[in-house]
This record gives sequence, structure tokens and C-alpha cells, in this order.
Amino acid sequence: MADVVFDQASRVYTAGAKPAVNRLDLEIAEGEFVVLVGPSGSGKSTALRMLAGLEEIDDGEIRIGGRNMVGVPSRDRDIAMVFQNYALYPNKTVGDNMAFPLKMRGVDKATQQEKVRAAADILGLTDYLDRKPKALSGGQRQRVAMGRAIVREPQVFLMDEPLSNLDAKMRVSTRTEIAAMQRRLGVTTVYVTHDQVEAMTMGDRVALLADGKLQQFDTPADLYDKPANAFVAGFIGSPAMNLFTLPVSAEGVRIGSSELRLPREVQSRISGDRVTLGIRPEQWGVANGDGGASAGGVKAQVDVVEELGSDAYLYAHLDDDAQTAVVVRTAGRSGARRGDQIVLTPTSDELHLFDPESGDRL
Amino acid sequence: MTVTEQRPAEIVPRQPASAGREGWIRRAPLLPALIFTIIVTQLPFLFTIYYSLQSWNLVRPGSAQFVGLDNYVKVFTDSQFRGVAVNTVVLTAGAVLISMVLGLAFALLLDRQFRGRGFVRTLLITPFLITPVAAALLWKTVLFDPTYGLINFVLSPFGAGQTDWISAFPLTSVMVALVWQWTPFMMLLTLAGLQSQPHDVLEAARVDGAGSFAIFREVTLPHLRRFIELGIVLGAIYLVNTFDAIYMMTQGGPGTASANLPFYIYQRAFLGFDIGQSAAMGVVVVIATIIVSTFALRLIFRSFQTEEG
Repeated sequence: MADVVFDQASRVYTAGAKPAVNRLDLEIAEGEFVVLVGPSGSGKSTALRMLAGLEEIDDGEIRIGGRNMVGVPSRDRDIAMVFQNYALYPNKTVGDNMAFPLKMRGVDKATQQEKVRAAADILGLTDYLDRKPKALSGGQRQRVAMGRAIVREPQVFLMDEPLSNLDAKMRVSTRTEIAAMQRRLGVTTVYVTHDQVEAMTMGDRVALLADGKLQQFDTPADLYDKPANAFVAGFIGSPAMNLFTLPVSAEGVRIGSSELRLPREVQSRISGDRVTLGIRPEQWGVANGDGGASAGGVKAQVDVVEELGSDAYLYAHLDDDAQTAVVVRTAGRSGARRGDQIVLTPTSDELHLFDPESGDRL
Repeated sequence: MTVTEQRPAEIVPRQPASAGREGWIRRAPLLPALIFTIIVTQLPFLFTIYYSLQSWNLVRPGSAQFVGLDNYVKVFTDSQFRGVAVNTVVLTAGAVLISMVLGLAFALLLDRQFRGRGFVRTLLITPFLITPVAAALLWKTVLFDPTYGLINFVLSPFGAGQTDWISAFPLTSVMVALVWQWTPFMMLLTLAGLQSQPHDVLEAARVDGAGSFAIFREVTLPHLRRFIELGIVLGAIYLVNTFDAIYMMTQGGPGTASANLPFYIYQRAFLGFDIGQSAAMGVVVVIATIIVSTFALRLIFRSFQTEEG
């Protein structure tokens, strides 16, 4: 086990081009489970592959256990990686697949067998040790890939979207299994995903990347409650946070023709005459529009209702400005229908304000 | 009344209407090709069997007479025939295996990125595009010739430029020319295999601690197995019939030192005019080839069936 440090680590594919990973700084503690998350092309996989030694570190350093990894080949880094498509050796049996890293390190046959057996026991693969990967289901292949990583007892686990090829149900169960196993083994883990649910549920801390740059590196709760900028706010949370860039008025902000009053201490943070306001879907209070608008509310018309059982999502547009869409999360079976008039009021003081130019949190 | 009540309990597959007639309409356009194939391959074979039972010398008209299996007895007691059969095996196996090893080596080199890769690849493929007769002539005169040959020219500074390569090593010389022509074919096949290899498996092997040689032995070579098998079988099918290179370079000589079966049969039929004898040889070779190629084809199909998942 070891800590992992990205120190201004950068990767440029072609000279002069925009870096795929741009001066990334991360300090990952020993035994920590860190998730790299971001949209496609954000550089999260590249960052992981730099740590694995599959991509060059063009600038800066990556240190594992204090040792600088620049120029160190993969096989000398003492890491194990789980690939998105599992990357099992098709011509080897499950047992030989799992024993391969041990064999490459010159571990004797008896110890190999013992360790493979132990790992297969944990993963429920004992009955499949003599099969070829072709004869396994997706979930089983995924577990073989995990097993191949576990037998190594490496310093760091690297996982590159290991769940994205599983069906939805399998993904949920494997998600918890991986998280539980990581806690038990206590091995430092870096996990890449584009799925924010995986990021929020699995990681001790989550690093959100966009365009090769680190946006925020925080615990899942802080990422949700205190997004560092408008991008993080929009990326984390499903449905996404409502973000409006609005003119500032005397007592709050103007949204459409109505005025949204803001608490004084929130308002004091605004400097310019416009501001980006973020309100999560669950931070809206909904009133029926027929009962007369309450002061400070926003009138809207429902376009679509997504009923999920426990909750319902209302997708609406503002009465005054049909271009502005609003998402509202309400209790399930609220009876709202398409075309209903509703009045929305923010229920929480925890509103998010961002600078409209830079996107930074105010 | 519900619809389900009217249906039989068991579900049977629906028969396509008039499958038989449709089938024949579809097959009919192929018939001319089938008939043509029978005329040009099966009828000559039947004639050959008929000739093989005759004693018939082309230069003595009216000499044909039925001799039963006499020709076959002569084939099996002919030590030259056995020697030529050994030549055929050595030439085919040697050329195929050497060109496969070289082709694999070139493919591994071409599988990496470097400047001018496309140009180098084209150059390496070129020998395969040259007419076999021209290639043989090229080796015989430009390279192997004792007086003008480039090989002796290059070797002369080292004091070893006097060898008449084709006279001294006739079978090896022919094999060298064949290897030169067939290496690109093997290279293309194995290169296709290398490029169809998933990158993440190679990366996984690197992370798992394998060095370059271990990756080749443990991951790449097993992946290439079916490409190599295919190359060997296809190469053997073509090279067992080699005629042009031998005809151009050595005429099978000295004696029959560099003759293979097709060339020896040609010699016996059209230079020795012994139709009965050469027909019997042809029949023996065809039967032997069928036996060998049955195993070879089985190998091909097996390697196609065990596709990896």
C-alpha cells in the first residue's frame, strides 16, 4: 500500500496541442478510494493510464509511495489494473489468467495456485478456474479481471470504467462488492468512471475533471453541497441542477417577470449586476398555480412528468420565458400533469451562486 | 372465445412456402460453373486413370496397350520417384516454414510506428507481386549467376566469390527464391493478425509485469496461432505445385536433385514421352495430396472454429 501523488502531471499527445491532462494535482492517501469522474474527453482515463505507465508523463511528476514514476515502465510500478473490456487473455484459462501476474514475477507454482484459489474463493470463481474467458458471462469476466488484480497484492489498484459493460442490475451489485472489497483489502484505489452515481457512492473522495483540468477534489457530499464552480454544479446530481444567469435586483434576482427574493447573506455575496443562480431540483417548493401566486414565486408550466415511484420529476418552462427550462423533484404521485400551472419557490437557503463569467462559486 | 384456444398446444416452426422449388431456382445459375468444373477437373482425372493402366509411348504411335497395374509397380520401385517425393517435401516444408518465420519477423517490425512505414511495407510486399517466372529468372541471373551475380559480387571482397550457387546447391537455391516470394504473403497474414489484436490485452500484460518477450510468447503468439496455421496451409497448397521456379532456375537438375513431383511428372510425360508411367505417378500424387490436404483442411476449419471470445 502506498500513497499516490499527481504533481502538476501533464500529458500532451502532439506538441502544441491542448493537453489531454493539464497540470493535474492530486494527493491520494494510503488506502483511500478515489474516483476520477468527468465527461468524455475530460482526461480522466488518460490520467489513470499515466499512473499505470501506459501513457507518458510529459510534464510534472506522479509519485507512488514517494517514488517518482517518470520513465518507470508499468511492470516496475507494482500496480494492478482492471480494464473496461476486462482484457483477459483469451487463450488462457481463468486460473492461468489470474496466475499470470504471479508467473511473470517468478512466483513458484504452488504459491501461485494457493493465491489464485484464495482469490477465486472470495470472488466465487472456484468452479470456473478451468474455463476459458469465452465461456463466461460478462459479470464473471469482470470478476476474473478483479481476481487478476487482487492476487498481485499491489500497491495501487487502477480501475478504468470496470462496470460500464455490465447490465444495470449487475452494475449496482458489483459496485457495492468492489467498494466493500476495497475497504477490506485497504489497497489504495484509483477508479475512473463517467457515471456520477458510481463516483458518489464508491469514492472516499471524488476528483472531477473537465477538459484535462481538475475542477474539484472533494468528498462526495461536499461535491454535491458545495460545488466549486458552475460546471461541477451541473455535472453532479441527477437530474442536473437548474442554472440560471439572471439580472440582480434590489432584493434578489429577477427570473422572468417575477422576482426571486434571496436571503440577505446570500445576496451580499453578489458583486456584479448579473449572477448565475443554481437551484437543485429538490430545492424547489411547488404550489398549484391556480391558487394565486405567492410572493417571490416563479410561475411555470409543466411539460413532462417523469413518475419514478418514490419521486417524480417535473420538467417545466417559465411562464414569462418559454426558453428557460426548470426541473423540479417532488414526491411521487403528486398528481401533476402536463400543462399544469405551478408556482415554484426555493425552499432552501443553500442556494448556489456562481460568477456568470468565470463560473466560480461566490 | 379467445384466439389462443384455436391454436395447437405445441409450437412448430412455420415452413417457408415451396422451399424445394425456390431452392432449385436459386441453385440453377450455379450449374454451368459446376458442369464446367467437372469437365476441366474430373474428366481429365478419369482419363489419367485410364492412361495409367496403359503402356503408351508418345513417339511410337500404336504402342498403347493395357498393362494393368504394371505402371504403379514401377512407380513404387522407382528410386528417383522416391527421391523426388522427398525433394517435394523438403522444398515445400522448408520454403513455407522459413518464409513464415521471416514473415512473422517482418510483421512484428512493421507493427510498430516509424517514419516511412507505408513505403517500407510496400517494398516488402513487392516480391509477392512479381510473376513467379520473372522472380526465378531474377534470382538465377541477377543474383546467383557465378560470373555476373550480385551475391558473388558482394562476397568477393571476402574472398568467397567463386561459387556457382545453382549448381552447388540446386534445391536450396530454388528454395531461397521461393522464400523470397512467399515471405510477403506470410508477413501480410501475420500482420493482419497482429493488428487485430486488442490493445488492452497487451497493456494488461504490461501492467501484469510481462516484458516484451514474455508478451510475445504468452499473449501474441497464441493469438497469432490461427493466422500462422492458415498461412502454412495456404502456402503449402501453393508451393507443393511449384513448377515455374524449378523450370526456370535448374530444370530439375543436376539429374533430379532439384526436381519436385510436378516437375518430374512433366519431365517423364513431355521429355520422356512415357504417358502411362507419368499418368500413374499423377494418380499416386493426387491420392497422396488428397490424404494430406484432408488433414490440412481439417486444420484450417479447426482454427476457424476455435475463434476467441
